[in-house]
Amino acid sequence: MIRLENVTKRYLMGDNVVKALDGIDIQIEEGEMVAIVGPSGSGKSTLMNIIGCLDVVTSGLYELNKISIKDYDQDELADIRNQQIGFVFQQFNLLNNFTAIENVMMPMTYAKVSKQKREEKAEALLNLVGLGDRMDHKPTELSGGQQQRVSIARALANNPAIILADEPTGALDTTTGHEVLNQLKKLNQSGKTVIIITHDLEVAKNTNRIITLRDGKVIQDEVQHHA
Amino acid sequence: MLKEYFAIAIRSVLAHKIRALLTTLGVIIGVSSVILLMSLGNSAREEAANQIRGIGSNLIFVNITDREGSLPNDWLENIKDAALIKNYSQLVSSQVRYTIEGQAVDVSISGVNDKYASINSLDMTTGRFLNEYDLAYDSPVVVLGSKIPGLLLPNQEVIGSTLMIKGMPFTVVGVAEERGTNFSGDNDLMVYVPMRFASRMSGFNTRNKTFYIEAASEDTVDLTLNRVLTYLETIMPSENSYRAFSQTQILGVLDTLMALLTTLLSGIASISLIVGGIGIMNIMLVTVRERTKEIGIRKALGARQSQILAQFLIEAVIITSLGGILGLAISYLGTLLITYITDFNVILGLDAVLLSLVFSLSIGVVFGLYPAYTASKLEPVEALRFE
Repeated sequence: MIRLENVTKRYLMGDNVVKALDGIDIQIEEGEMVAIVGPSGSGKSTLMNIIGCLDVVTSGLYELNKISIKDYDQDELADIRNQQIGFVFQQFNLLNNFTAIENVMMPMTYAKVSKQKREEKAEALLNLVGLGDRMDHKPTELSGGQQQRVSIARALANNPAIILADEPTGALDTTTGHEVLNQLKKLNQSGKTVIIITHDLEVAKNTNRIITLRDGKVIQDEVQHHA
Repeated sequence: MLKEYFAIAIRSVLAHKIRALLTTLGVIIGVSSVILLMSLGNSAREEAANQIRGIGSNLIFVNITDREGSLPNDWLENIKDAALIKNYSQLVSSQVRYTIEGQAVDVSISGVNDKYASINSLDMTTGRFLNEYDLAYDSPVVVLGSKIPGLLLPNQEVIGSTLMIKGMPFTVVGVAEERGTNFSGDNDLMVYVPMRFASRMSGFNTRNKTFYIEAASEDTVDLTLNRVLTYLETIMPSENSYRAFSQTQILGVLDTLMALLTTLLSGIASISLIVGGIGIMNIMLVTVRERTKEIGIRKALGARQSQILAQFLIEAVIITSLGGILGLAISYLGTLLITYITDFNVILGLDAVLLSLVFSLSIGVVFGLYPAYTASKLEPVEALRFE
């Protein structure tokens, strides 16, 4: 369902052209749990932006559900981000003026879901991540782990098929990091495609497949066999 | 969806209350000054129109300004179709100076006929005006302007008392209502005596110089005035030797002048609205920059460009409308205050209210559009990276 073929991404930095991605070929099937690893500067954030339709390729092909992303305009890309992809960010990226439940409701607002349905769904999702008693708290009143769980609930708001997590444990201690990873595993077990971008191999070991990047190229792509 | 935008925008405005208030201060000042000036101007027009209408809107005033010139005795007979003229009165005048407790008071003495009061819509507070018998028998009677009794006949029954004018005793028969000042001078410091009696006294120019004419109806005022002007043209040596105009003309000129003044002042005041709008644009651009991360998050979660545009545009419109409403409230208090401390009755016109609300709304749209557009065009990746 996710297919990248000879994808390149180049930036202009000053007078220099930087090759962030240099001929990437990846295919990720529905229901997989994949880690994309690599040192900083390897191009993994760029790759996540492209998979998440936040950015477009310079050349090559990116197909989502067999349709090339090149065929979509800005509004359609916004709709794909809204409907098909759930983002989990390292710094949570919650809106601090809004409560937990309002943050979870936001993607549904853009999907034009009715207020009543939004509230019901957001409430159910916050219960699912174990924050049923923190719904009316603002992000600043929550711990890091709790904030990341709110953002997972938000990622699930429009029931997307893909969860895209960028260093989801990067700002958390080991214990809460584990909780978040377990949450992502559970989501994968329930049928969602989960893609984790990380530089931490310990985190990557929780997945079934590790794709390693270096200098914008895939240098290793191996399936993990868990005991 | 619109409801959500409003909810989001109100939240953002409430999160920065002081800033929103300061931002919209320009709009508040602009709106309140435009409304106040418009209301003041309109009330002044109304007031002036009422005053002039009170004098009689069918009135035509004829005056020979040339020192040597005068009109023939039967000149009004020469106005063809005399049916156009309902009444007329000649006026001869003189001044007399009284000294009251060392203070000089100049009183105008007007020799008029019994029609003068009705032509000029002059009402009496007590007694009566000169009547046809006073005129026919040349009775030594006098009607006083409203300030005269207090000055010349204090502490006594005015009607029936005797007033000395140029050494002659006159019996007071009436006191006129307060009229204020107009083109014939201070009406309240005037006394009226029978025309022919006056012309026999010293100091009066008895030539036919000044006439008050009442046209048959409001519709024939212009026609009558034209006839008078045509006649004057034929008998007077030059255009500068006479003047003749109707009350309606004065009203029209005054109204045009006041309207012009009101428009001019409101126009100047609306410049402050534009300045206010630029302030809004400035702050909205800062807001967009400050909230780049928020915009990035919203875009990542699926907000379309049009949805971001709407959010920030509505925010700008809410801020300026707030300014419009506050400005309206301030100008309302202003009219109350002006009405309270002066006699001038200032009414907040509906046109001014609507105009300023539309204006403040439009300023939100016009000056909020560019910042909102900037926000909507941000690249999601770069916006997300913003700290």
